Amino acid sequence: MNADLQTYVAFHRTGRRSPELPPVETPALRPALLARFRDLTAIRHDFPLVLIHGDAGEAPVRSLSELLDSTLHDFAHGPHGDRVAAHVGRLERQIRTLVAQHGAGKLSELWHVAANLLGVRADDQLRDSLDRARAALTVDGDVVGCDRRLPALLLGHVWQAAQRMKAKKFQSEVVQLVRRLSELVRGNEARSETGRAPARLQAAVGTGFEDAFDFGTLSRVLSRSAPKTTLPETRRGRVESLVAALQAQPFFPAATDAGVAPSSGAFSFVFSSVVAARDAYRARLPELVAVARAVAMAELEVAGEYREARHDGFFQQLGPEDLAPQDLGLFPDYLVTLPPGPLTPVEQATLMEALSAGLPIKALVQTDDLIDAAAGSETHLTLDLRSRQLASMTMAQNDVYVLQSPASHLPQMRHGLERGMTYPGPALFCVYSGDAGRPSHLAPYLVAAAALESRAFPAFSYDPAAGGDWASRFDLSANPQPDLDWPAHRFTYEDETHQAAVEQIAFTAVDLIACDSRSARHLARTARSKWIPGMISVSNLLASGAKPRPDQVPYLWMVDADNTLHRVVADEALLREARRCREMWHSLQELGGIHNSYADRALARERERRQVDASDHATTLIATPATGTAAPVAIVLAAATSPAPAESIVPGETAAAGGGPESASGSDEAYIETPRCSTCNECTQINSRMFAYNENRQAYIANPDAGTFRELVEAAESCQVSIIHPGQPRNPNEPGLDELIERAKPFL
Amino acid sequence: MTTAATECLLQLYDERHELEDYQSGVPRWCTGCGDNAILAAVQRLCRDEQLKPEKTVFVSGIGCSSRLPHYMKTYGFHGIHGRALPIAEGVRMARPDLHVFVNTGDGDCCSIGAAHWIHALRYNMNLTVFLHDNQVYGLTKKQASPTSPKGLKSNTTPRGSYLEALNPLTVTLGVQNVSFVAQAVDWIPEVLYDIVSAAFHHKGLSFVRIVQRCPEWLPQLLEPFLHDPMKVKLLHHDDGLAISPGIAKVYKNTQRHDPADMNRAREIASGVDPIPVGILYRNPDVPCYEDLRVTGQLRTPDLIRQGLEAELDKFTVWPQEGPAT
Repeated sequence: MNADLQTYVAFHRTGRRSPELPPVETPALRPALLARFRDLTAIRHDFPLVLIHGDAGEAPVRSLSELLDSTLHDFAHGPHGDRVAAHVGRLERQIRTLVAQHGAGKLSELWHVAANLLGVRADDQLRDSLDRARAALTVDGDVVGCDRRLPALLLGHVWQAAQRMKAKKFQSEVVQLVRRLSELVRGNEARSETGRAPARLQAAVGTGFEDAFDFGTLSRVLSRSAPKTTLPETRRGRVESLVAALQAQPFFPAATDAGVAPSSGAFSFVFSSVVAARDAYRARLPELVAVARAVAMAELEVAGEYREARHDGFFQQLGPEDLAPQDLGLFPDYLVTLPPGPLTPVEQATLMEALSAGLPIKALVQTDDLIDAAAGSETHLTLDLRSRQLASMTMAQNDVYVLQSPASHLPQMRHGLERGMTYPGPALFCVYSGDAGRPSHLAPYLVAAAALESRAFPAFSYDPAAGGDWASRFDLSANPQPDLDWPAHRFTYEDETHQAAVEQIAFTAVDLIACDSRSARHLARTARSKWIPGMISVSNLLASGAKPRPDQVPYLWMVDADNTLHRVVADEALLREARRCREMWHSLQELGGIHNSYADRALARERERRQVDASDHATTLIATPATGTAAPVAIVLAAATSPAPAESIVPGETAAAGGGPESASGSDEAYIETPRCSTCNECTQINSRMFAYNENRQAYIANPDAGTFRELVEAAESCQVSIIHPGQPRNPNEPGLDELIERAKPFL
Repeated sequence: MTTAATECLLQLYDERHELEDYQSGVPRWCTGCGDNAILAAVQRLCRDEQLKPEKTVFVSGIGCSSRLPHYMKTYGFHGIHGRALPIAEGVRMARPDLHVFVNTGDGDCCSIGAAHWIHALRYNMNLTVFLHDNQVYGLTKKQASPTSPKGLKSNTTPRGSYLEALNPLTVTLGVQNVSFVAQAVDWIPEVLYDIVSAAFHHKGLSFVRIVQRCPEWLPQLLEPFLHDPMKVKLLHHDDGLAISPGIAKVYKNTQRHDPADMNRAREIASGVDPIPVGILYRNPDVPCYEDLRVTGQLRTPDLIRQGLEAELDKFTVWPQEGPAT
């Protein structure tokens, strides 16, 4: 075995490092597929996001690029349109830079700062463009980048939007009930003795015609003649107490004419611990029951269907256990933003208990660090998949909404977030932020996206409201190329002979781990001079599914700061992690109906059955006398005797020949002086498989075997610029060959 | 467009347009028609310059040549007979951000549209004009056109045409403010492409006459020129075309000509045999009409609506005014 290979294999198997295998200094190296994403501020992507203030209607969250694009779309036309668009593009980039450096801020403030940094004072045109764009931008909001604060801010924002909707609905209902109950009381009063007193009657008529009536007489007449239909005392008392109870409810801020007042005095529903949220829920339960009871009773009262004999007893005994989910759905949900990091056992147990008991909580479990350093000793490195396990456990409870996604992907999943927030029941959101809080050479956005690509933190949603079966509830489609183990990407680079080389590389879990500086001792950089044939890329090795042979070492493509490619040998521990990651992904795939083992087996059985049927059918056919089979055999024989097919003329290859006839004279092959072709369609109409157009729409012989020599000669004759040269016939048995060769002579 | 998070890792700046992105439909020109070669050259230009389809417009009049916008997957305007140039000027004025090309024929440009042709040259707006000159009316099945050679027998001239052919090049070179004049032939695609490309890069009206075959009605007319390379004279200069070694091998009849020299250009332009091919005249300093007349006003949808309303109001009958007496 080669000495270099021995060194590599030793490192791969045992981690023993020889001096010529330096460890990988991660700030300098990054996985090759990430080479193009050094400066994220130059790339228009989903971040930063704008959390739109106020009642934003259908889109409370929009990406900055999309917001600016739609603003520009509405007004930037005409001669200055491009200029305005270019200036706003510069501003967008500046804002993106600001957010990357300093974190979140209000859009209007960031706009101002960015405009000043671009030198808006000195540049009239720039000022003009930005003023126009600013005037057209009708919304404002907080701009947030992709970092560790994002999940809580984003979820809080979506939660608030959902609660606003809920509050609106509840308040309109309560206002309606209170108004109609009050009317009952007022109507009762108008019919009573006090309501028919002369002074009240006079007040009811108003000042315009008060002289036309004798209110004393009117009062007497009414008191005598009108029927006595006042409310019974018990009902009046009940109605009044209902009004009081509804108006004093502490769950939603009271509705005012000016809209929804800020929640002063009402309960708070935002928690950072499940225990606290659960306790608050329990403590408020009696009040919740009271309000729910008041609403139900008020509805009956308003409809005039409240029967004391039947309903009194029922409502007195009404307890928390009698509340249906739609009753609970009227009230606000509890937003629980758990602090990042592993959950304490108490919190975890309480969370599972609360979710299974159907408490109205929306919980965010955030992971900041996917690499679990605490799990093992110094030398052991594993991927932290606890959040995934939590999600799986919760899905097994069947009626909890579950959504998992890395932060980078949250904008794509925002409809899922909104569905989860409006789902009538508990919901769990597991998010990986990509921002471990340690200095890193990769932006959190990239790390989070890499976690998605590498299947270490897949994105999925489980929506129990979407249907009765897994196929409609579970959605895995948010992942890139979900039917593969790892998404494969085209990777183009320049090789040592300065030629473009293309490879399909999968972004595996090993690539993800290599992004982290703690993986340095598992990786070893190799010198370019010592790249040997026994090296196999990690993605190829993992794709083959086999363990490396003793003479193979897996390597990873990585690039340094100058975009120079390096091969980095990975040790066995990393590959083991990648395989574990793939196993987890496979189980998710099965849930999502991709490569489902039951379906695959059923398919295999069906295929087998059909094959048997087909072969039975074939046997019956062979038994009957075959006709006409001789012809194909003859063709095959003819092909075997004809000269071996040479490669067809590559478009552009004859370009260098220029004067074609001289340089290619003596050749037996047909050819076209492609650069002189004037695209007149003559030859392609004779045979479009033999003659084809290249990327400049000029003809070349795509396949000399796709037609006859006669067609070649006819094409040569009809070509107006005489650039087709038919060469010598390839099939000696073609009829009329002598005449054709004669006709072809002028074109040789 | 916003890039999706996962796509961000894959496709960036991946907005390259291939030749197919500019192709639309199968041309209905006759097999062997020179229009095919012009279409191919123009599509290649769009691809090589990566012109955005939504920022490119082809305007034409009437005739075989004027079917070209149908085969381009860009904006297009198949106008009325002889009026390709005024339409293109309007487009240019309203949308200076677009690349405007004009495809016109010998009948369209030199007969019914001749007045517009003269004044378009004088305006010198930034347009690229291709005169597809097949020297016959082909779409209406063979009538003599202004550029038909004397003696041509056609449906309108059964005893042969009486007049000498009009020379579009000398006419063009005689108009004030002319800034770019070139001639190409459709059967030398490489030179055709180079000239089309040079015309596109010229700021101002670039006028390219393309001598093209009509295999249906005049199959013999250009036959001698096709088969004798000496009957094509290639003009070359450091400021004009460079002739590639491959072309020089076949076309040995070449001449050095400085495109700044107007007198020499007029002299060359009057020759018809051999056909001069190359850039005859170029003057980048002639001002463009749209630069002289630019308003600087942002054309918002509101402004356009207001303008339209004002124009339409001129034709509105207002109730209080009553019928005209």
